[in-house]
Parts: sequence; C-alpha cells; structure tokens
Amino acid sequence: MSPTAGVVVSWWPGVAIALPLAGVAVSAAYGWSERRRAAVLAALSLGALLVALGLIREVLAGRMPEAHLLHMTAQLWMVLRIDAAGALYGATVAALGLLALTYAFGYVRPGPRRARFFAFFMACLACTLGVAYAGNLLTFLVFYEAFSVLTYALVIHEQTPAAIAAGTKYIAYILVGGSLVLAGVLLTFFLAGDLAFVGGGFLPVDAPRAQLLTAFWCFVVGFGVKAALVPLHGWVPDAHPAAPAPFSAVLSGVMVAAGAFGIMRVVFDVFGVGLFTALGVAPWLTAIAAATVLVGAVLALGQEDLKRRLAYSTISQMGYLTLAVSLAGSGVMAGGLVHLVHHAFMKGTLFFCAGLWIHVAGARRLGELRGVGARMPLTTAAFTLAALGMIGVPPLSGFVSKWWLGIGMLEIGAGAALAVLLAGALLAAAYLLPVVYAAYFAPTRPGVATPIRDRASGGAREAPWTMLVPTLAAAALTLAFGLGSHLRGFPLQLAERAVLAWFGGG
Amino acid sequence: MDVVDARPILAPFVSFLCAGLVFAVGRSIFWRRFFTFLAAFIKMGLVFSMLPGTLRGVVYVYDFVEFTPGIGIAFRADAYGMFFALVSSTLWLFTTIYAIGYMQGDRDRVRFFGFFALCVSTTVGVAFAENLLTFFLFYETLTICTYPLVVHAETPEALRAGRIYLTYTLIGGGFALVGAVMVNAVAGTLTLSQPGILSGDLGTTTLAIIFTCLIIGFGVKAGIMPLHGWLPIAMVAPTPVSALLHAVAVVKVGAFGVTRVIYNVFGVELLGVLGFTVPLAFLAGFTIVASSTIALTQNHLKRRLAYSTISQLSYIVLGAALLTPLAATAAIVHVANQAFAKITMFFVVGAIARTTGKKYVSEIDGIAARMPISMAAFTIAALSFVGVPLTAGFITKWYLALGALEADAWWFVLVLIVSALLNAGYFFPIVHRAYFRPAKEPWPPLEEGRRFETAKTLLFPIVICAAYVLLLGVTAEVPGMPFSIAQVAVEGFFAGGGVVP
Repeated sequence: MSPTAGVVVSWWPGVAIALPLAGVAVSAAYGWSERRRAAVLAALSLGALLVALGLIREVLAGRMPEAHLLHMTAQLWMVLRIDAAGALYGATVAALGLLALTYAFGYVRPGPRRARFFAFFMACLACTLGVAYAGNLLTFLVFYEAFSVLTYALVIHEQTPAAIAAGTKYIAYILVGGSLVLAGVLLTFFLAGDLAFVGGGFLPVDAPRAQLLTAFWCFVVGFGVKAALVPLHGWVPDAHPAAPAPFSAVLSGVMVAAGAFGIMRVVFDVFGVGLFTALGVAPWLTAIAAATVLVGAVLALGQEDLKRRLAYSTISQMGYLTLAVSLAGSGVMAGGLVHLVHHAFMKGTLFFCAGLWIHVAGARRLGELRGVGARMPLTTAAFTLAALGMIGVPPLSGFVSKWWLGIGMLEIGAGAALAVLLAGALLAAAYLLPVVYAAYFAPTRPGVATPIRDRASGGAREAPWTMLVPTLAAAALTLAFGLGSHLRGFPLQLAERAVLAWFGGG
Repeated sequence: MDVVDARPILAPFVSFLCAGLVFAVGRSIFWRRFFTFLAAFIKMGLVFSMLPGTLRGVVYVYDFVEFTPGIGIAFRADAYGMFFALVSSTLWLFTTIYAIGYMQGDRDRVRFFGFFALCVSTTVGVAFAENLLTFFLFYETLTICTYPLVVHAETPEALRAGRIYLTYTLIGGGFALVGAVMVNAVAGTLTLSQPGILSGDLGTTTLAIIFTCLIIGFGVKAGIMPLHGWLPIAMVAPTPVSALLHAVAVVKVGAFGVTRVIYNVFGVELLGVLGFTVPLAFLAGFTIVASSTIALTQNHLKRRLAYSTISQLSYIVLGAALLTPLAATAAIVHVANQAFAKITMFFVVGAIARTTGKKYVSEIDGIAARMPISMAAFTIAALSFVGVPLTAGFITKWYLALGALEADAWWFVLVLIVSALLNAGYFFPIVHRAYFRPAKEPWPPLEEGRRFETAKTLLFPIVICAAYVLLLGVTAEVPGMPFSIAQVAVEGFFAGGGVVP
C-alpha cells in the first residue's frame, strides 16, 4: 500500500483544532457572563469532539483527511494528516477534554485567574489535538512544544509556593526534553531530507548507524520526559497534585500519553519496525519501560497524598505503552494503543473523584478519606469502578487492554514482559484498593460522614451535578469500552487499523 | 548582471543630507521631524525599489570617485548588501518614531537626531561598499558618529563608556586598516568580489595574518569574545541608541564585515582549504555559550539584553564560519531575525523605563497587568530567541543546525541546543515575573488623556516589530521576505559548488 493511498484534502482536521482555539478568545472576552462563557466553551469543545468522531468515520472508510496549514520555507511546512492512530488519540483528547472542561466549570473558583485557566485549558486542548493529527515531525514538534509550554500556566494555577516550585521543575524538564526532540527532528531531516510520517518509516536504512542511534535516543529521551519514563519522571508527582483536578485528569489522561504517542510515531512512522529492530535498541527500551512500570507502581504504594499516588500510577501505566512499542509486535501494539484510550478515561475518573473529595469533603490525603463513601456514594462508586478497571478486572476496559497486551506478548514469546504486566496489575491493586477500603470500610473520620456546614461544600453531601456528571460519564465509558470492545468504531478496531499500517499486515 | 545605477549612493546620501539639515534647522521641532521622516521614507523607498531587481539577480553599481587606478570609492548593491540595507533602513524608520517619543524633553536633541541620521547613512554605506576602502571609510565614520550618541547624557559614567567604546573600536579599526592594506599589497585590488580576492599561492602565513587582522578589526564590533568588553558598558546610551546601534547598526556592521571577509575577500573555496574558519567557529561557539551564561546573572535589563546580543551575533559569525550553504543562509537571515527581535526587546525595556522608571529584572513583577501589549511583544521576541517554531528564531536555528550537520560539525548542534536553553533561562524568568507574580506596589496609573499603556510613539514600533518577528517565522518562503534575498546572496557565495536550499 503506498503511503499516500486514500489521502483526501479536507478542512476538518483544521476545524477540530480551530474550535478549541477559538475558546481562547472566548475565555478572554470582556463583559460576558460566566454562564454564557461556559455555554460557548462547552459548545466549542463538543464541536471538536464531534469533528474528531467524524474523522474516525473517515479513517474507517479508508480515507486519510489531510490539511496543509502553513509553508514556512521550501523544507519546512506544517500539515495535518489523519491516520487510525491519530484519529483514535485525537478523539480521546477531545472527549476527555470536554468532560474535564465541564467539570472545571464547577471546580475552578471565580476570580481573576478563572479566565486564565480556561484560556490556557482551551489552548492546550487545541495543541494536543494538533499533536494527534500532525502529519509530519515538524507539525508534531510545534504542537507538542506549544502545549507543553502552555501547561505551565495550568500547573501553577493555584500560585501557592508548592505550585510555583512544581511549575519551575516542570518547565525545566520539558524544555530540556523539547530541545532533545528538536535535535532528533533535525537529524532526521538531515538524514532523510523529509519529515512526513509514513507508516513503516522513512529514514534511509543505509544511513550511518551512529547518527541513527543519536536521533533515536534524542527522541526517546526527549519524549520520555513527557511520557514519564523512569528516571525522567521527576516532574510528574509534583505537577499533578499542584494542578487543579480537572487539569490533572487531562494531564495524566492524554498529555503524558502524548510523550508515549511521540515515541510510537518515531518508532513506527519515522524509523519503521524493520529499522527499529535492526538498530538493536529494542531491548534497551523494553528494559526502561519495564523499570518504569515497576518503579512507578512501587513508589505509588507509599504515597499518602491521593493525587500524588495517582500520579505515580500514571507513570506506571504509561510504561505499558512504551513497553508495547519496544516489543514491536503487532498484537501487543494494538493492545498498547487501546490501553492509551482506556487509561485516559480510567485515570480521568480517578482524578475527577480525587478532586471532588478535595472540593466537597476537603479530603486530600488517604487518612482523611475514611468514611467518605457513606457521604459521597456516587463519587466513591465511580472511583471504585475506575480503580477496578485499572487493576484489570473483567469486564471493564482496563481488562480488555491488558488482555490484548498479554496475548500480544505471548504471541511473540515475551514472557518477561508478561510477568511485568502482571506484577504491574497486582501492584495497581495494592495501591488503589486501600483507597477504596478507606472510603468504604475504615472507621469514619469525624466530620466526613456527617455533612457539617463547612465552607468548601456549603453543607452538601454529594458533589454538585456539574462535576458529578462528567465523573460518572468517564466511569461509564470505562464500563462501555469494556463491554463493547469489539464494536465498530471502538478503540480496538482503530488500533488494529493503525497496526496494519505499521506492520503491513505481517 | 551589473547595472549602473545611482541608487546605491543615493541611499546613504539621503540620510547624510538629512543629518546636515537637522544640524542646520533642527532647533525647530517641526523641521527636525519633517526632514528626519522625509529622509527615512525616501531612503526606504530607494532601497525597496531595488529589491525586485535584486531578486532577479541584478546588481546595481555606481563608481563615485577614483583616487588612483583601482582605488576609489564605489558602491555596489549585491543581494547581501541589499539585505543589510533593507533591515537597517526599515528599522531606522521605526526607531525614529520611537526616539521622538522617547527623547521628548531630553537635552541636545538636535545633536542626537543629527548624529543618528549620520549613523544610518554610514551603515547603508557599509552595506553597499564595493571595495574594502569604501567599507573601511564608512566603518570608521560610524565609529566616530556613534560616540556622541553613547555619551549623550554626558554623565561621568557615560563619558567613561564613550572612552572605552572608542578605545576598543579604534584599535579594532587599526587592525582592519592593516588587513586592508595588506590585501591591496598582495592582491593588487580591494574590490570585494564573488569568489574572493585572494588566492592560495600567496603563502599561508601571509594569509593567516591578513585573516587575523581583518577578523579582529571587524570582530570588535561583532562582539566576538574576548573583544566584547565595550558593548555592555555602552548600554548607558539612551534606549533608542541601544536599540538601533547596539542591536542593529553598529554590531551588525561588525558581523557583516566578518561575513564579507569570509565570502568576498577570501572566498569559500580558499578558506575551505586553509581551515582558518575552524578556530573562528569555535570562538563563536564559545561566545554563544559564555555570554549567555553571563546574561543569566545580569539584573539590569539592558545589560542582560546586551549579553544576549553578544551571544546572538556569534550565531552570524558561526553560520558564516561553517562554510556551508545552509549555515550561510542562517547567518544572513539571522541578521534580520536578531535585529527585529532584539529591537523589540530594547523598545519594550525602554518603554518600561519611561513609563514606570523600572530598569531591573527584579523590579518588574506583575508589569504585564500595567503594560500588556508591551509584554506580549517582549514574550514573542523571547520565544524567537529561544527558537520556538513559528517565530523568526526557529528558522535561524533550524538552518544553522542543518548547516552544522552538513559541515560534519555536530558539536555546534549541541552549542545551539545549550544556547536555546540558556536563552529560555534568562528570558523566561522576565516573562514569568511580568505575568505570574503579583506587583510589589501599585503601578503608576495612566497619564491624563492617554488611552494606551504608554505613549503611542513608543507602542507603535513595538507592535510592528513584534508582529514582524512572527511574520518572519511563518512566511520565510514568500519572495521579497528576507529568506528569499538570503537565498540569492548564498547562491552567489557558493557559485563554485555546494547545495543551495
């Protein structure tokens, strides 16, 4: 199949990005009532989601919508081109973005910083969609860098000393990582004279090995910072607790995944499976990914702060993705892509719940959660569902992705990787179930179960509906993706398409 | 194709005439402004009218006077000269607007605007110089004309800065003169020509001495370490002077000279054989990293910008020294990219000082609330220096790094990455303070009857220059934009071989 088969010129990829971008202006518009602003932002975000779903249809119909954005010089241009992997990731970004936005209307306090939050949130959303839909490395780099830098303002939103410190740490990590990615892009252009993604790769196989290796490690280290590969994960556990909960959800659900998505693009669309295997770097990447899965999970065990615990869980779970890439098997890679989507909504649910517990009951640490299940039954139920999904209990979505990952590993005889997968699942149970236990079964902390008239909640028992609905919706998706995993248009089908382009059906 | 045309001499002459008129009738504010603007517009018109020809490959020449056969004053507007003239004449217009707002009520404005015009006249003279003699003549005149602007305030500090400036640049000029005389002695001509004047059979020692003399001579103004000492000290000058002269005219003349020496005196092929540019490239790489590191420690805004300028100028020197077409393109384009971004920063820093009296990094917490447009412009310029895609700086960084790879000098890719991070390290804290920190004390309110955050004459150039930084980043391919002119210039330099982008 030629790399340009099915390419059609289309406005829609550009529209998907332009809609949330318009939200930046809406957020900054003077003299709008909060209600009107919220309605327009939600409509824009919903529009982006609908376009993203429409693009999935296009991809399933065998077309590749393409939109040229900008020609800077004869060698440098920005283009969006949608393949199966991009469509899948893009729809995930748009959907989680919409849920988080709705949630944020209730979560972010009124004040001068509220408009700033929404402006940066919408810009981040637009740029992350750009990452998903990028058709060449330069476009990928531009959107990747843009959302990475914009994230800074959201991490430090609370402007507490801890948040500022987390922000500084974040930006330092990200800038160094971004520079390495740029170096990789440069080397790629130097070696190949082109930057456009091609399923199966476009780097010349006969290029000097040293330069190929340099480019590869520049990419892996650069994207690895974002993907939270151990030992480059330092910013993750600080940034997540500092950021407001709706943004923590997006950060964990789709933005950390952008790093793993970048590694995926580089391995399959820049180097290609053949060259990647021939370079002999795969075992190293496997080792790093396995270490990430295990170290992240073990460190999560010791965290008292719930959001910190969840952040370490993200490190561990995103390790699966890199693990799948490094094994370079078609089955395991399909499982990895599916996991990217499923994890986004499970982790989104978990962070939404953590935010609700903070917002309503003032409970941030594990010890403060005792008995919160009686007061906030729906929130706690959603958390429990997502936690079980994360562990991989059938029939939830987490089970489906781990099943396909595991089957894929067996196909290529990667027994050690399978052991890592199972250990990760066991550890997930060990760090998530105590939270569920504390919420339901532990002796009640004074002031949690009985709705005292405290400032944060105004005395309510359960969370307000604006925040509860997105939480429950994300939890429902966890269940739906599990039950309906084989339906047309669901992640598994798209992932198989993507893998077909990368592995050529072999 | 050479065409005899008077415009290459008229362009510098217009501002020369303007200077004379300002000195004569400049006591009247109206006539001073009238002549300054008239000259700025005529000059821009003259230079821009040559642009279509340049893009077609036409070179405009004009012989002014010949002292002895072969030695005289002559003008030649080739693509690279045109590039430099376009940048300086465009920015002269904007800086003039800015200076009118900035210098309001200041002392000795006749002297200021008179010498300002003279400086621009000589800069364009350098750009269009056909031979080393003409080049040297304008180069030295520029040195002298800048002195009254540096010492404008006539405080002991300013006078001291002026003395240091003169010492550095006059000694540098001496080296350049020695180099030029030697070129004439061994080659029998001074005419800057496309493959270069000198040939390899003159002996490596002689050539090395000539190269060293000329590079030291022009390197002083280009701020190559360790010849940079005068630049941070000269920041006592009024901000429009720092902006135009120490971000564009004076320092760029130095970098322009270095480039001319490499491409038009020695030529790519000869230098490729001799290898003189290798130490120069390392020196430039060192300057890039070292002066950025110093910039990190500077609390005074203008001094931080000055060290950043030193670092950025060496991008041009490095690009020229790598001797590959891609790197040369980057070097030439950076003349414009750096100029617009840095002048934006100087304008903003000056506007802050004029509006709030603050001159230090530590004093500007929360200023974005008071001066949002200015700080947005500053942010764009900062992103450009870091080399974020879609800004002018990215184009430079991209082609310079590719040029380094082409020259098999991966070492410099590393230098560029470190430099980008250092740039982020000293510019982002300014942006962060301005936007994300609460103000320490309430900012002075808007003055009576003022709609914008600062005087319109200050704000207008800021907005235009910042917008242009973005435009340079996204439309480099459009004919008539700097990138296309640079490509014509590079085609000339590498006519003997090499791949032109």
